[in-house]
Amino acid sequence: MEHPGEGTRNGGSFVVSCESVSFSYPGSGRPALSDVSFELRPGEYVGVVGPNGGGKSTLVRLLNGLLKPDSGRVLVSGRDPATEPFEVRKHLGILFQDPENGLVAPFVEDDVAFGLENLGVPRKEMRDRVAGAIRAVGLEGFERREPDTLSGGEKQRVALAGLLAVEPDILVLDEPTSMLDAAGRREVLAYLETLRAEKTVLHVTHHLEELVRSDRILVLNGGELVADKTPERFLSDADLLRENRLVLPVVQRLALEIGLSPARLRTPETLAEAILAKTESGTRAG
Amino acid sequence: MRLELRDVRYVYAPGTPFEVEALRGVSLVVEPGEVLGIVGGTGSGKSTLVQHMNLLLTPTGGEVLVDGVDATTLKKSELRRRVGLVFQFPESALFAPTVEEDVAFAPRQLGLDEEEVQERVLESLRALEAGELAARSPFALSGGEKRRAAIAGVLAMKPEVLVLDEPTAGLDPATREDLLALILGLRNAGISVVLVSHDLDEVAEVADRVCALQEGRVRAIGTPAEVFYREPAQAPATVRVASLLRESKPEIGAPVRFAETLDALRALQGA
Ligand SMILES: Nc1ncnc2c1ncn2[C@@H]1O[C@H](COP(=O)(O)OP(=O)(O)OP(=O)(O)O)[C@@H](O)[C@H]1O
Ligand SMILES: Nc1ncnc2c1ncn2[C@@H]1O[C@H](COP(=O)(O)OP(=O)(O)O)[C@@H](O)[C@H]1O
Ligand SMILES: [Mg+2]
Ligand SMILES: [Mg+2]
Repeated sequence: MEHPGEGTRNGGSFVVSCESVSFSYPGSGRPALSDVSFELRPGEYVGVVGPNGGGKSTLVRLLNGLLKPDSGRVLVSGRDPATEPFEVRKHLGILFQDPENGLVAPFVEDDVAFGLENLGVPRKEMRDRVAGAIRAVGLEGFERREPDTLSGGEKQRVALAGLLAVEPDILVLDEPTSMLDAAGRREVLAYLETLRAEKTVLHVTHHLEELVRSDRILVLNGGELVADKTPERFLSDADLLRENRLVLPVVQRLALEIGLSPARLRTPETLAEAILAKTESGTRAG
Repeated sequence: MRLELRDVRYVYAPGTPFEVEALRGVSLVVEPGEVLGIVGGTGSGKSTLVQHMNLLLTPTGGEVLVDGVDATTLKKSELRRRVGLVFQFPESALFAPTVEEDVAFAPRQLGLDEEEVQERVLESLRALEAGELAARSPFALSGGEKRRAAIAGVLAMKPEVLVLDEPTAGLDPATREDLLALILGLRNAGISVVLVSHDLDEVAEVADRVCALQEGRVRAIGTPAEVFYREPAQAPATVRVASLLRESKPEIGAPVRFAETLDALRALQGA
């Protein structure tokens, strides 16, 4: 294995890079990731999709050193999470897939503060950051609730607030909206949108509509990175979608079926407008 | 089976500072062989409500009736067999060394012969495209794989009413579609399905009726069209598109399912 000197990539144009990363869980015959390479540039918003068991969460765990690659190398802001996990975790924060397991403290506000406590942030600043994060995810009034007694969507918001309070430059979100209702999903996505350019985001999801504004979409299937494409190309590649157990969202599917371009019609509103424009021009011409 | 909830109320931690009135008088019926969708915002009481359907939670007010009989008078084990509940976080209930044994556990408790148990296990796993997971440890699975195993475990009991609390969260899109097809298949075989979901698009596809909860009360109950067109801003994508077009194109009607909506849009364009 090569050992490029510490920092050869530092100051380069990537904040995260994976070079030929492979990983197998102990005792498992099949690799969870094989030879995966990609890079994230600062401020990029990149989606990750693919079938259940495709390797998405495994990739996430390799990014902060929770798992170490069998071969290949991960670099986050020039550091290797396998050898410097604590340094890496100041820059890269993860929202894990299962909101049940992450919550540890007796009250919601302690849970949100948990990540900050290890960073040596002064008390006053800590209080402000915790309050700000709780506000950002719409959990005011829940500060003294016990995490065990929250509904699924509420738990997911607590976990997201805990991540935001740490203010990492790189956010890795593993199915961040899986337990949220439609309104909550819109709110969280709108909030993530405000972080655009300021943060680098890697967003794992099964809901393709969440990624229509992303810069790129990575597809992991059977542990292999099978595509790295813009949303426009991705959404119009029917074969790629089918092979990877993906289904176009309703708006895009309707658009496609009536002969409109799915990639540019992102919401029910834009689709309705496009249909109106088309029928009006049709009537005028006829 | 006809499952009825009459004015059900539920308070968590009564008499403490953390008291939460999660259900404030909910009445509804799950008719035999129907798919009832339950929607509502986070914390509206959906999970609390469905845990009353097999008396995992006992109402602090009101009653649950099975074919007109007070459910508290039935044997709990009998009730839990007839009303199968898949929790919102079913992963945490997995416990056996292999997926196969986990799925076999409940049917074996029913005293079925081993051949029947094996048949049901295979059938349920296959229905969720989880056949290849049979010999794996349920703890060493991805999130979506765990969820499939957990749903298979309840399917294998062959309940008369299948209650699914956000079953598609974490499933990949093709598996989600498979599960929806499976729900329709069960419905056609006379089994009632209660589907709790915050994905209104999928509720629109399979529900015969929809119940919308808000702050522990029924905000609306009726056919999908009745419920969703009442508040199009909180409706599935199909309804949102159609209701935006309805102002200038009333002929579009009130489509809900994808295929209906597509037909309506095509008719509009053809006109
Ligand atoms: N703790 C573990 N031990 C052994 N194998 C595991 C473990 N966790 C996951 N796997 C396996 O590794 C592969 C990749 O799993 P991973 O959790 O990364 O998938 P995923 O893409 O996140 O799937 P999902 O969409 O279901 O969350 C799968 O084959 C899975 O069964
Ligand atoms: N174990 C519990 N203890 C106390 N309060 C709870 C508990 N479970 C849920 N709640 C509260 O009851 C209300 C309804 O929750 P829930 O039924 O989980 O809603 P939903 O499933 O619609 O998201 C919420 O305010 C929630 O915080
Ligand atoms: Mg995962
Ligand atoms: Mg719930």
